[in-house]
Amino acid sequence: MRTYELMFVVDPRVSDEEVVTMTQDYKNMITTGGAQITSEENWGRRKLAYPIDKLNEGKYVLLYVSSETGKNSLPEVEHRMRQNDKILRYLTVRTDEDLKRAARRPVTVRTGASADGGNTDGGGEPEGEEEFNHGAR
Amino acid sequence: MARARKVFFRRRKVCKFCADKIDYIDYKDVKLLQQFIPERSKILPRRISGTCANHQRPLQQAIKRARHLALIPFTTD
Repeated sequence: MRTYELMFVVDPRVSDEEVVTMTQDYKNMITTGGAQITSEENWGRRKLAYPIDKLNEGKYVLLYVSSETGKNSLPEVEHRMRQNDKILRYLTVRTDEDLKRAARRPVTVRTGASADGGNTDGGGEPEGEEEFNHGAR
Repeated sequence: MARARKVFFRRRKVCKFCADKIDYIDYKDVKLLQQFIPERSKILPRRISGTCANHQRPLQQAIKRARHLALIPFTTD
């Protein structure tokens, strides 16, 4: 099974209702393409870290998609988004592999780190941020 | 005296992700990523943050994804 995250940023001048209908359109495309929407998040209006097309805000929508067979219509969805002027940015990420790797990794990595940092563990945590400043001097 | 000793003492840096057991670094977690982008919004190098190679790689990926979506800046001026 493959899982994906599809996030896109919509022009803030587009009304909330229109964002919903747009999202619905894309969701229909995804479901007809043989995948399911597992969940959906609407972040709403959010300040952009840098201006895009002279806009300082964007409306963020996030879709979680899963495909049992691996078949999906995400390339078509991306194609449509690219053509849509109202979409400032989009990003599709396949997440199943990374999440699976993350699920089994902790044991190996953790042992090495705790052996090294064992004696400083107690007072170490809160000082973490200060350490960055020392280095950046 | 105490100050003089402090110069030689370097607290051992521990990879934040190993310590906190964060195994999937999410590009949406802006708060987390921001700890690794100092003033100029550059990605903090491992030698300073102490992040292990196994975690720096996905961290770098996550920061770049977040930048694309304008969640965090490429640069500040």
